[in-house]
Parts: sequence; C-alpha cells; structure tokens
Amino acid sequence: MQVTMRQTRRIKLGITYLLLAIWTIICLFPIYWLVITSVKLPVAVFQGPTYFPWIDFQPTLNAWKYLLVGPMQNQVVRSWLNSAVMAPTSAALAVALGSLAGYALTRFNYLVPVLKWRNNDIAFWIISQRMLPPVVVILPYLIMYRVLGLVDTHAGMILIYMVFNLPFAVWIMRDFFANLPRDLEESALIDGASRLQAFRLIVLPLSSPGLIATFLFCMMFSWNDYLFALMLTFSRATTMPMFVAGAGSQSYGPQWWFLSALSLLTIAPMIVIALLIERYITRGLIVGAIK
Amino acid sequence: MSTNLAGQLAKVSAPRETARAARVSSDPSKHIFLLPAVILILLFSLFPLFFSLVLAFLSWDLSRLTGGVRFIGLENFVTLVNDARFWNTARVTLTFVVGAVSLEYLVGLGVALLLNQDVRFRRFFRVVFLMPMMLTPAAVAYAGRMLFNEGQGPINHIIKLLGGPQVPWFSNPSLALPSLILVDTWEWTPFMMIVLLAGLQSLPPEVYEAARVDGANDWQIFRHITFPMLAPVSVTVILIRALEAFKLFDIVTVMTGGGPGTATEPVTLYAYLVGMKNGNLGYASAIAYSLLVMVIISSTLFLRLVRQRAVQAAE
Repeated sequence: MQVTMRQTRRIKLGITYLLLAIWTIICLFPIYWLVITSVKLPVAVFQGPTYFPWIDFQPTLNAWKYLLVGPMQNQVVRSWLNSAVMAPTSAALAVALGSLAGYALTRFNYLVPVLKWRNNDIAFWIISQRMLPPVVVILPYLIMYRVLGLVDTHAGMILIYMVFNLPFAVWIMRDFFANLPRDLEESALIDGASRLQAFRLIVLPLSSPGLIATFLFCMMFSWNDYLFALMLTFSRATTMPMFVAGAGSQSYGPQWWFLSALSLLTIAPMIVIALLIERYITRGLIVGAIK
Repeated sequence: MSTNLAGQLAKVSAPRETARAARVSSDPSKHIFLLPAVILILLFSLFPLFFSLVLAFLSWDLSRLTGGVRFIGLENFVTLVNDARFWNTARVTLTFVVGAVSLEYLVGLGVALLLNQDVRFRRFFRVVFLMPMMLTPAAVAYAGRMLFNEGQGPINHIIKLLGGPQVPWFSNPSLALPSLILVDTWEWTPFMMIVLLAGLQSLPPEVYEAARVDGANDWQIFRHITFPMLAPVSVTVILIRALEAFKLFDIVTVMTGGGPGTATEPVTLYAYLVGMKNGNLGYASAIAYSLLVMVIISSTLFLRLVRQRAVQAAE
C-alpha cells in the first residue's frame, strides 16, 4: 500500500515535469525558429523546414549583414534608435507623473466637486481609461496632432506613449505607496520638510523597486505599440514594430530570412526586460494591483 | 464613459482602503501631485472621446473633393446597421474575444496549477513562461505566419511526419480565425498564468490539509475548494484580458490583414481601413464607437452573469 502511494506520487510528478517541458518547448520554439530562420539563405527557407544549423542546413550571416551593414542599414538603425529613445523617455515621464499621482491618492483626501468623487473613484476613473480601445480615439488624435504640428515627431510620440501608460503607472504606484510604511516620511514632515521634499528625499528612494518595475512595464508597452505609430508617424519618427510590420509586404512574397532577423532585433530588448522583470512579478507587485 | 464599469469592477474585486491614512488633507501641495496626471488623461481621453462622437454624426470624407464637412445626423449609424461587412467584423471580434480568452484561461490555469506544485527549477519555468507576453506582437505575428505556413512551416511538417493531413491554417476562411486565436493564446496565456499562480499561492493551506484528512482526491479538491476560492481572481483576470482582446489589431493586421476575404477582419481593422485608407472619418468614428458600445455591453453582461452565479452559489 505504501509503495503504491509513493508510486502514484512519482507518476504524478513525472507527468507534471513532462507537461512543464512541453510548455517550455511551446514557449521557446517560435523564438528558436526566428533565430534559425535568420541564419538561413533565402533559397534554404523556400526549400521547406529544416531544424538544426550545421546538421540539416548551413548557417549564414547573410540576413544580418543585409540589415546591419547592407542596403537596409539606414532604416533599421533609425527605427531602432527611435524606439530606443522614445520608449524609455515616455516610460520615465509616465513613472514620474504616475508616482506623484499615485502617492497623492494614498496620502491626501480628495473630493471632486459636483461628481462627489473621492480617492477610490478617481483611481478607478484613471484605470478605466485603459479599457478604452485606442481605435476609438485615434482619429481625433490624428486631427489634434495635425493641428499642433506633432505628426511624425519624436515629441508627439513620447507624449502619446506617456499618456497611454499613465493610468497603468498611477494604478501600480498607488498600490505600491499604499503598502509603504509611513513612519519615516511622517517624522520628516514633523521636522518641517514639505510634502514634496518628503516625497523626493524619503519616499522615492524607498520605492525604487516599484519605480523600476513600473518603468520596465511602461517601456514594454511603448516599445511594443504598433497602432499609434502606424497612425501618427510615417518616416522620421517611425518605430521598430512599425518598420517590421511594413517590411513583409513585398510583391514577391514575404522574405522570411531577413524578416526573422528584423523581428529578433525588435524583440531582443523585450527579452532582456522579461529577464529583469520576473523578480518584481515574484514580489507580487503586479498581482497586488490587480486584486 | 466607463465609471459604471469601473464601479462594478470595484465591487467584484476587493475594495481597498486608501483614504484611511490621508491625515494631511489640507496641504495645498496636494493638487501639484495629482493634477498633472489628471489633466493629461482628461485631455487625451474625454476630449477625443467627445470629438469622435461628434465625428460620427458628420459626413467628413477626405476622398471626396467637394462636400466638405456636413452634419448628417444619424445617417452614419443607419449605414452601419445595414452594413453586412460591419456585422461580420463584429462577429469576428466577439468570436475572437470569447475563443481567445477562454483558451488562455484554461491553458493559463493548467500551467499555473502545474507550477503551484513543489517543482524544481521553478524560477526558470517562470521566466520562460512569462516571455511570450513581453514580445512585440508585430514580430510575434511574423513568427506565427512562418510556423503555420502551409508549405514551408514546421507545424504542418511535423503533422505530416506524424501521418496527419496538411492543414490549410490561413487559406481556409473557417480555419484562419482559430489560427489567429492560437497565436494570441501563445502570446497572452502568460498573463493569465502569472496572475492565477499568485492567486493560487495566496489560498490558505489549512483548507487543503483539512480536505486531505477527510480523504478528498485531487479532482474533488480542485472542483470544490481551489476553483471556487480562485473565482474572484478568475473574474478579474478574464475581464482584464477580454478588455485587451477587444483591441485586437497588431497580430491580425500582420498575420492575415483581415483575410482571406474578410474572414478575420475585426472591428478595429475595419474602422482603420475606412478612416485611413478611404478617408471617411465620419463613418470610421461610427464604427469605432460601436466597438466601445460592444465592450461596455459585454463586460456589463459578463459581470452581471458572474454576480448572479455568485448569489445562486451563496443561497
């Protein structure tokens, strides 16, 4: 009897590991496929699937040379740098404004006149902006941006990404500050510091994990955006996703060898962010905010 | 617009105390903290929302040289109701949302249950399982197109090696939408998984021990303890994911462009095509607004259904 119980447990554990392994393969295989397709020759791609470099096909840096030192170089470098400047800048601004507002919603009492909204109502109004499908407001944005001369500018894209991320940043930082001990800032206030001083000198340094995590998430959202870039940019301020999405529309069919390399260039920073962010999700930051 | 929805969400998820500690409420600097964010959000949400509602009552056609901007009342909405292509996009969007969110929930719950056990390398699995949701949808869509490619893709190749038929993933109109759902599931199951895993880990262990002592088996424990206790987290995560799924644009634009024909064209893409490609701003706004109405109606119905179930279960 004892033995069979132990056996069932071992079988169960074996099945668990088997299923975990299968899901690992499912998660990683598309990325692996991008990597190996990016080192195949154009002909090799069209001859049908091959799986292992040096075993069933000869790898080449053809696609990477084409993108990084060849005819595509200018476009690739420009789009990548645009994304690499706009995503972190907008994320930093969203975190700055978002943490101010998030802090305010946990430390002050507000009452919106007429609507009689209190702090919780304001917070829910802010997060409810994330429910709005961007396609509903995109045409007014376009008209607004035409009038203001912000179409296809870096400033315009940074502004839109910042506002787009703001509700999320407020929501997460509000949750973070709500769980932060208040003794230190309160003693600073008693010693005569102003609210802003207490916030800047005491609260912010204590909150760096929350700030970093929120920054990384906002940066991910901005970097991955396609719709806003598609609507509001056309040449100078185009982003990497925009460039990638447009690169597959050749009349002679999509060129998978360089599209794979291009896709990898797009997702590479996000893979790094995924590795960094896992720590913070473990701390329950995001989940605490969702609950 | 969605304060009602937000209120309902607040009732479903646990209300949170924030005002308790707000002692220094007369400090005038409190507006410096909150106003910049609120003003920006107002400027970029209420104003455009109002503006596009106005647009929906206008005839504003950039492709026509004459005519200019005219107020035409409900004409755009009359056109909308009689537009078969619009009703098809509504069907595509709803099918996609229901299909993708259900599949993501089921798989996400399964993976979360696996990871909730005492397994080794848990950290490694978490990083890997989280990865897909971080990746740029436009790039993921290309990977999906290659993998599902009918002649040169590895998925059909592997099916063939196993003796199966060659599946026309994207060329068959009735398979194209399920294929999109599969790609979306790959990308967004991690979100479900990570939230449900945290939910599982916050359940009190005493209940499980008591059930084990009473001789309940794994399925009974899941059916009568884990699943009901996880319900609030499940409702929240399904709602959040559904709200996101209604925004479907990137993946479908890159993968199928709405095709074959209009078999996978969602409302978002139709609004984009009418507004940007045809320059018919008024009609595009009417289409986009109908999506907002769809979102609000479906989430309200979903929450009401959940609440009814909860009341029934309590009785």
